Amino acid sequence: MTYKDYYQIMGLARDATQDDIKRAYRKLARKYHPDVSKEADAEAQFKALGEAYEVLKDVEKRAAYDQLGANWQAGQDFKPPPHWDEGFEFGGAAGSGDSAHFSDFFSQIFGQGGFRSDDARSNRPEQGQDSHAKIYIDLEDSFQGATRAISLSTPTSNAQGQVQLKHRSLNVKIPKGIKPGQHIKLAGQGHAGFGNGPAGDLILAVEFNPHPLYRLVEAHIYLDLPISPWEAALGAKIKVPTPDGLVDLKVPPNSKQGGKLRLPGRGIPGKPPGDFFVVLQVVLPPALTDAEKAAYQHLQQAFDFNPRQTMGV
Amino acid sequence: MNTNNLFIIHTGTVIEDDTLTLEQLCTSCGVQADWLVRLVEESIIEPDGAEMPSWRFSGASLARVRAAFNLERDLGVNLAGIALALDLMEELERLRRQLKISRHG
Repeated sequence: MTYKDYYQIMGLARDATQDDIKRAYRKLARKYHPDVSKEADAEAQFKALGEAYEVLKDVEKRAAYDQLGANWQAGQDFKPPPHWDEGFEFGGAAGSGDSAHFSDFFSQIFGQGGFRSDDARSNRPEQGQDSHAKIYIDLEDSFQGATRAISLSTPTSNAQGQVQLKHRSLNVKIPKGIKPGQHIKLAGQGHAGFGNGPAGDLILAVEFNPHPLYRLVEAHIYLDLPISPWEAALGAKIKVPTPDGLVDLKVPPNSKQGGKLRLPGRGIPGKPPGDFFVVLQVVLPPALTDAEKAAYQHLQQAFDFNPRQTMGV
Repeated sequence: MNTNNLFIIHTGTVIEDDTLTLEQLCTSCGVQADWLVRLVEESIIEPDGAEMPSWRFSGASLARVRAAFNLERDLGVNLAGIALALDLMEELERLRRQLKISRHG
């Protein structure tokens, strides 16, 4: 178990006031909130922040945490000193939010001693809650349909009311044609019900791994296709990769840089299927040899072309 | 755990293809019906159907309700603030898509 420096996580000095703590939390929570932030590790940062705030906002817990001493380093292997918690009483009920997701460090210090109590539930059968998770798939998975193994960690409470993470793995069929931002519901794979009530559902938010060639926007696929100036000017037949295999694409004469060519129905399958867009990227070859320089000079002589005409120069 | 589980392939349904009743949306998001009614009053989610018993929510409402719930719980945002935040986030998402289309090489 490693030591967590809650002050460092919140960017605070150890003598911060309760008001400082609240302000720091508000500011960082907005920055790292997983629904708002696009930072890659926002979710992990937000959880760490929630845990730090859970302790520091509560004067009792903060005093107990401070009692551990200021000489620990974040990440250092941690064992609580003997009788460190003598005389501290953690009043109140379990913390708000998802204290179930907090670190081992947190549960070692605050998870025992009864401050987290079992929910008082009636024996009436009750359906379990739905659980939510994210699943990352490749574009090809949506194109062909696929089966993906996912691993989930679910917080569960044991007979003593302590929270433990239970790991399990599931094979999930990825429906053909699924799009970014959609959700797959697996009936009965959520949290267990109470008193013989049915289990909740598991809801998987589908995200796509970045693809080296294609960009996915809703059901449409975009591909940047480099072409030469003479292919753009004269037209050409070019082999283009699509998730379905190579396709012969006709580039019309006098195509423009950034021009889009649409291959209808070759996007993500579905009713209706998405489209495949080829975005033309004209690449200028450098003039290095004498022959190449002569070729550009021929162009210069053949054209009466001023690209800055609209600027009046 | 039963080792047989390793060989079971779970087939689900795509939520966005479905519509949800008020009750289903409550169960899925773990929220109370009266809180969802307040979201409807604030136009944060917009069901089809005029009267409450005939309300049907699009599958996409689910993600919106979850985000709304998290914003209230984690940041203490009120409903008007949630509506504003979700609309701005949607606009941000639209601009990101636009950027992705026009991104070069």
